[in-house]
Amino acid sequence: MPHTAALAAVFSNLSKAADKQQLFETAERFARLSALFPGTRPADSTLESLRAEVARDVDRDYPALQAAGTEAADRGVLRAVKWGEKVSTAQRALIDRYTAKGDDLLNDKKLFVCEACGFIFLGDDPPEICPVCKAPSARFSTVK
Amino acid sequence: MYASRNIRLCNKDCVCLFVCPTGATDTETGQIDRLTCVDGCRVCVDACPSHAIHLVVEHYPEPAPKPPSLAEAMMALCERKSEQERTALVIADAAPTAGTARIARALARSARILAEDCAREAGYMIPQCDATRELMGRIASDHDADIRTIAEQLAGGTALTR
Repeated sequence: MPHTAALAAVFSNLSKAADKQQLFETAERFARLSALFPGTRPADSTLESLRAEVARDVDRDYPALQAAGTEAADRGVLRAVKWGEKVSTAQRALIDRYTAKGDDLLNDKKLFVCEACGFIFLGDDPPEICPVCKAPSARFSTVK
Repeated sequence: MYASRNIRLCNKDCVCLFVCPTGATDTETGQIDRLTCVDGCRVCVDACPSHAIHLVVEHYPEPAPKPPSLAEAMMALCERKSEQERTALVIADAAPTAGTARIARALARSARILAEDCAREAGYMIPQCDATRELMGRIASDHDADIRTIAEQLAGGTALTR
């Protein structure tokens, strides 16, 4: 059973799954349920502390999960781990680049997020194909 | 199973209009009319030259089982990614510059998508599976009335049944 901390994501994922099945009322209910589990906001929140958490996943959690997924021959877990490791590595690199250059890094560029895998892209337009999961550019949302 | 059109792929060849026996594919909204679409017919699916129509499945199988320890490990990562999303949201709210806020919001969105993928691989793939039903049973007695209401609505209908 998931802890309360994860329920927002568990329910927003079920909302997406219902939406893809064109069960729009169910999708809407899971989306509302997701919003009712906002979780506790951490007190110590800096880009530095976030970077440390992401780095821990890249260095420790993903390699451990890859070993476990290989052991169980679970291709689904291996797929999620492969995408997640790449996306997290890119998150860490983005934090590092922003920490070094500040707002100069952004200039008038836009930030895009791949809605399929979470990959963050900084540029004028989203990539034609997501380098992590190969989703087309239409799957990228723009961060406001 | 009913036909559904992906409007992004549709080239307006209109062959689906020619082959549909009930006119369900010819609508002002661009969506195929579910009320007149013939269950399992699929003539438009096969006829469409741009592969823009597919059948929406109504009965889903139980997802392939996973070793419990692996599902738990994926859920633990889901929790970590959820915490990272909240950390990023706090950073965005207290950000000294608009640039920092934008970076933090991108990181928050990215973390949510990673958390959702972990939830999927932890067994919460679709509404109509054992793990989801069990979870909904657990929150049916939540102290929050709004949560209980939605849990009842979802459990009371056919949303969670295969």
